[in-house]
Amino acid sequence: MQNRDDMTDRDGKQAARPRLRSVVRAMIWATVPVLLLVQLLASAGVEASSFWSQIRQLDARIARVAESRAELIAEPLWKMRYDQVTGVLNEIMHDETIAAAAVYDDTGTAIARVVARPAGQAVAEVSRPINYSNGNMSVQAGRIAIAYSYATLYSDTGSRLALLLVVGLLATFATLIAMRISANIFIGKPLAAMMSAIQRSKQDGRAYPAEVRSSNEFGQLAHAFNAMQHTTSGALDRLGHMAAHDPLTGLPNRRSLSEHLMTLSNDAGSPDSLIAFCFIDLDDFKGINDTFGHDAGDKFLVHISERLRDAVEPQDWVARLGGDEFVVIRPEVSNEATAQRFARQLLDAISEPIRLHDKQVVPRASIGLAVRRAGDPELSHLPALADIALYHAKSKAPGTVAVLDETLQRDYRRRRDLELAIPTGFAEGQFEVWYQSQVDLVSHDVVGLEALIRWRHPEHGVIGPGEFLPLIERSGNNAQLTRYVLTDACRALKRLAAAGRPQMRIAINLPPSELADHSLAAELRATCARFDVAASLLELEITEGSLINNIASASETLHRLRRLGATIALDDFGTGYSSLAHLRRFPLDKVKIDKAFISEIPDSAEDKAIVGVIASLAGTLGLTLVAEGIERAEQAEAMREMGVMLGQGFLYHRPQPLEAVLEWLKEQPARESRVLADSPPIAPEFAA
Amino acid sequence: MTGLLRILLAVGMACGILVPPDGAVAADAKRLNIVFVNPGKTGEVYWDMVAQTMQAAGRKLDAHVEVLNSERNYRTMQELGLGVVARGDKPDFLILSNEESAAVPILEAAEAAGVRTLLLSNTLIGDDAARLGPPRQKLRTWLGDITTDLQTAGARMANALIGAARAEKWQSPDGKIHILGIGGDEITPASIARNAGLQLAVAAAPDVVVDRMLFANWTQSEAEQVTTNYLSWAARKQIRPAGIWAGNDPMALGALRAVTAAGLTPGGDIQLVGLNWSEDALREIKAGRLLLTDGGHFLLGGWSIVLLRDYADGCDFAATSPRVEVKTSAITRDNLAAVGDLIKTRAFDRIDFTRFRARAGRCGQYDFSIDALISSLTPLEGTAD
Repeated sequence: MQNRDDMTDRDGKQAARPRLRSVVRAMIWATVPVLLLVQLLASAGVEASSFWSQIRQLDARIARVAESRAELIAEPLWKMRYDQVTGVLNEIMHDETIAAAAVYDDTGTAIARVVARPAGQAVAEVSRPINYSNGNMSVQAGRIAIAYSYATLYSDTGSRLALLLVVGLLATFATLIAMRISANIFIGKPLAAMMSAIQRSKQDGRAYPAEVRSSNEFGQLAHAFNAMQHTTSGALDRLGHMAAHDPLTGLPNRRSLSEHLMTLSNDAGSPDSLIAFCFIDLDDFKGINDTFGHDAGDKFLVHISERLRDAVEPQDWVARLGGDEFVVIRPEVSNEATAQRFARQLLDAISEPIRLHDKQVVPRASIGLAVRRAGDPELSHLPALADIALYHAKSKAPGTVAVLDETLQRDYRRRRDLELAIPTGFAEGQFEVWYQSQVDLVSHDVVGLEALIRWRHPEHGVIGPGEFLPLIERSGNNAQLTRYVLTDACRALKRLAAAGRPQMRIAINLPPSELADHSLAAELRATCARFDVAASLLELEITEGSLINNIASASETLHRLRRLGATIALDDFGTGYSSLAHLRRFPLDKVKIDKAFISEIPDSAEDKAIVGVIASLAGTLGLTLVAEGIERAEQAEAMREMGVMLGQGFLYHRPQPLEAVLEWLKEQPARESRVLADSPPIAPEFAA
Repeated sequence: MTGLLRILLAVGMACGILVPPDGAVAADAKRLNIVFVNPGKTGEVYWDMVAQTMQAAGRKLDAHVEVLNSERNYRTMQELGLGVVARGDKPDFLILSNEESAAVPILEAAEAAGVRTLLLSNTLIGDDAARLGPPRQKLRTWLGDITTDLQTAGARMANALIGAARAEKWQSPDGKIHILGIGGDEITPASIARNAGLQLAVAAAPDVVVDRMLFANWTQSEAEQVTTNYLSWAARKQIRPAGIWAGNDPMALGALRAVTAAGLTPGGDIQLVGLNWSEDALREIKAGRLLLTDGGHFLLGGWSIVLLRDYADGCDFAATSPRVEVKTSAITRDNLAAVGDLIKTRAFDRIDFTRFRARAGRCGQYDFSIDALISSLTPLEGTAD
C-alpha cells in the first residue's frame, strides 16, 4: 500500500511538474505567431499591391504628363521656337519624380534637354510622339522622352512597411495582452477552479464543487463537472456500500465482518465484557435450491435475513458471509449461558415455517457459538473459532447450537494437523491398506477381502478412515487415495495368488467423486495389467449417495468397470435412499446391508423384516447379499436363515495388514470352487 | 524722262492757269482739319512714315493734320480717340487704324458725335464687321477705309523667290525648291493676308514646298532665332534651303543675319525677301543680299488725305467704293535708285499729292502705283538726273 502510494505520487509528480503547459499559454503560442504572420503578410501584400498600383499610377501619370507636354510642345517645336519648348519642358521638372526630360525633333535631334537631378537606380522612361496639326496638315513634329525615378515610391513604400511592421507588432502585442487577460479570465480561472476542486477531492475523497459562476461554456462545463462530482460521490458511496454489503439481503458481508471485528474491542465498554459470536449455517440449503430453484433459494435467504434482523437487539450486528452462512454478533453478554440462550433464540426464529411455492418449508440451521472477552488479543479469530463449533454442530448434531470449548478446539486442532499432514502421509507411506475377509456364512470359507484404509500417523497412531477420509476428500486427495488403494489391492492379489489363493477377490471402496472420473476404468485396467492380475478379481464398492449425485456418468463408469470384469457392490444399503430402482437400474452384482440393520438382529423384528425384504428382492434380482458388521454368531445364523450368503465382521475377522491376513489365511481351508460358482457372469468381451 | 516731266509740268501749269487750281478751290471752300490717332510707337518706322506722308499730303492739299501717338497702347489709343470725338471744336475727319479692333469704340463715339471717320490700314473684322456692316450704313459717319492689298504683295514676294531659285537651280535632293516662311503673327489680317499670298504662290508651283511657316512676332531677333533653328534642321534633313520669305523687313533682316551666321551667302546661296521698304532693307538690296522689299503702304497716310480732300470737295470716293484698296510695289535693285532717297531722307514733300486726286467724273478712281509715284516726284535739288 505504502509502496503503491509512493509510486502513484512519484508518477503524478513526474507527469505534472515538467509537462504542465498552461492551455492559455498554448493558445497564445498557437495563435499569436499566426496572427502576427498573417498581419505582416497581409500588410506586406496590401503594401506590395499598393506599391505596384502606385508604380502603374506613376507610369500612367508620367505618360499623361508626356502626352500633355507633347501637345503643348507641338506648336513651338514645329515652329522652331525652341526656347519655348525648353520653357515648357522646364515646367514639368517641378515634378520630383522626373529626373530628366528631352524633346527631339523629327530628325531625332535633341531640341531641348533638362536634367533635374542625377539619375539614381530604378529609372524608367516614357516616350511619346509630338504631333503637330493645324487646319491644313498633321505631322509628327518630334518626340518627347521623360526619365523618371521610382526612388520616391521605394522610400515611401519602405517607410510605410516599417510603419506597418511597427503597427502590426503593436497590434499583436495588444492582442497578446488582451488574449492573455481574457483567456485567464474566461479559461484559466474556471480551469484552475475545477483543478482545485479535483485536487481537494483527491485528498479526502469528498466531492468538492468548482466555484465557477460564468454562464459561458466553462460555466456549463463547471456545472456539468459539479453534477458529475455529485454523481461520482454518490456512486462511490454506493460502491462502498456494495463492497461492504451483500446485495441480496442488504446485510453486511464478509469484508464488513473483518472491519467490524477490528472495532469490536474498541467499542466494548471494558476489556472484560463478553462478546458472543454466532456462526449460523443453514442445513440442507442445497436441497432447497435443488427443489425449489435458485430464485426461491434467494427468497429463502432474504426471509432468513429478515428473521435474524427481527430477532436481534439494536446493538447486535448481523451479516451474511455468503451462501447460507450468517453471522450474528452480540457485543455484550453477561455469561456463556446467556449467549447460548441468545443463540437458541436465533435458531427458534429461523425455524419458523416459510411458504415456498405454496409449500411449507421448515428452515433448519446449526450455530457455532464462540464467546470471548473484548480484551482478548485473538478477537479477530472469532469467526474461525465459531466455525470450529459450527463444524462440530453440523457433523455431530445438525440443527443445534454447539458452543466452542476446549474439546472442540482440540478436535479442531487435531483435524487441522491431520489435514496438513496428508501430503506427508502419502509421501512417507503412512497410509496402510488393511484387509478384512468376507466369509461364506454357510461354509465359513473366506471368499474375499475388503481393502480398508488406515493411517499410521507418527504422533496420533493408527487413525481410522471415519476420521481422516472427510479430510482427504476436503483436501482433494480422493483420487490419489483410490489409486493408492487400488495399487495396494493389486499387489495383495498377486501375493494372494502366490499364497495359493488365486481366486480370492479384493473389494475396494470408491468415493463418489471417483464415479465421475471417466479415466478410472482405464487406470484400473492399466494397474491390473501392470501387476498381471485379472480385473475380475477386483470388486468396487460404491454408496447410493454417489449414484444419486450423477446418475448418468456413474452408470457409464460402472458399465465400463464391469466390462473389464470387475464386480460392483452397493455399500451401506438401507441407510440412505435404499432405492429399489437403483438396484435394478445400475449394473450391480452385490448389495452390502449396512451394519445398522445387523446390530439389532435377531432382537429387532423390524430390522429382520427389512433385511428379509432386501434379501428376497436381491434373490429376485439375482444380486449377492453381504451382511456387514456381524459380530455375534446368532447374527450370522439369522442372516443365513434369511438367505444372506456372505458376511463380514469382527465375528470372523478384524481388519489387518496384508501380512497378518496372509498368515491368518494359512489357517483357513480354501474352497475355491464355491467362490467360482458365485462369481458373476463375466462380460462376453472379457470372457473371450 | 526729263522731257516727260517737263511736258507734265507744262500741262500742269497750263491747267493751273486755265482752270482754278484744286488747292485754290479747296482753300476757298475750306481748310480741312484732320486728326490721326497713330497706333504705333514714336520711332516705329512704318507708322512714323504714315504720319509723315499724311502731313506732307496735308501741306499739299490744304489740310491740317494733327497726329496723336498711342505708343502701341490700345487703351491710350482709345482715350485719345474718344478725347478727339469729345472736343468742342471737332475735327473734320478722324483717321483711325483698327489694330486689335481697338478703334471700334472710337468709331461708335464718333458716330454719336457726328465726326466723320476713315479707317486706315486695318479695317473692321470678324464680329465687328458683321455687326456694324459696311461703311455709311449703320455708322453713317464712317466714310470707309483705305487698305493695302497685302495678299498680292505676299504672292509677289514668293514668286520673286521662286523665280530666282529656279533660275539658280537651287533644288534640294528631292528635286524641290524648299522655302522657309516667316510670318509676323497668325491673327492680324495684315499678317494673314501676306501669308495667304505666300501659300497661294506656292500652291501654284508644284516644284516648291514651304518647309515651315514660322512666326517671329514681326521682330528681327526672333526671326534670326527661328531661322537659325530652321537652317540647322534643314541641314540635318539634308535640305538645301533656297529662299526665305519674311513677312516684313525686320524679320527678313533677322533671317539675313542667321543665314550669314550659318555660313551661307545671302543672294549667292539663298535669296531672301522682305516687305516694308525700310531703309535697312533698301541697303541690303543695294548690297545684293536681299532680293526685294515689297511695300510702300506707308503712303496710305498721304493717299488718305487725297481721298478726304476729294470727298470734302464733293468727289466722293464711294462713287467707286467706300473701300479703297491700294496695291503695293516691290523695290528691287532695278528701281531702287528712284525711290531709295525718298525713303531714306523721308522727303515726302517731294511728292506732288495733288497729282493723285481723282479726275472729275471719275471719283474714287486713283493711280497710286510706284510709277505714278516716281513720276510725281520733284527732282532733288542739285541731284536731278
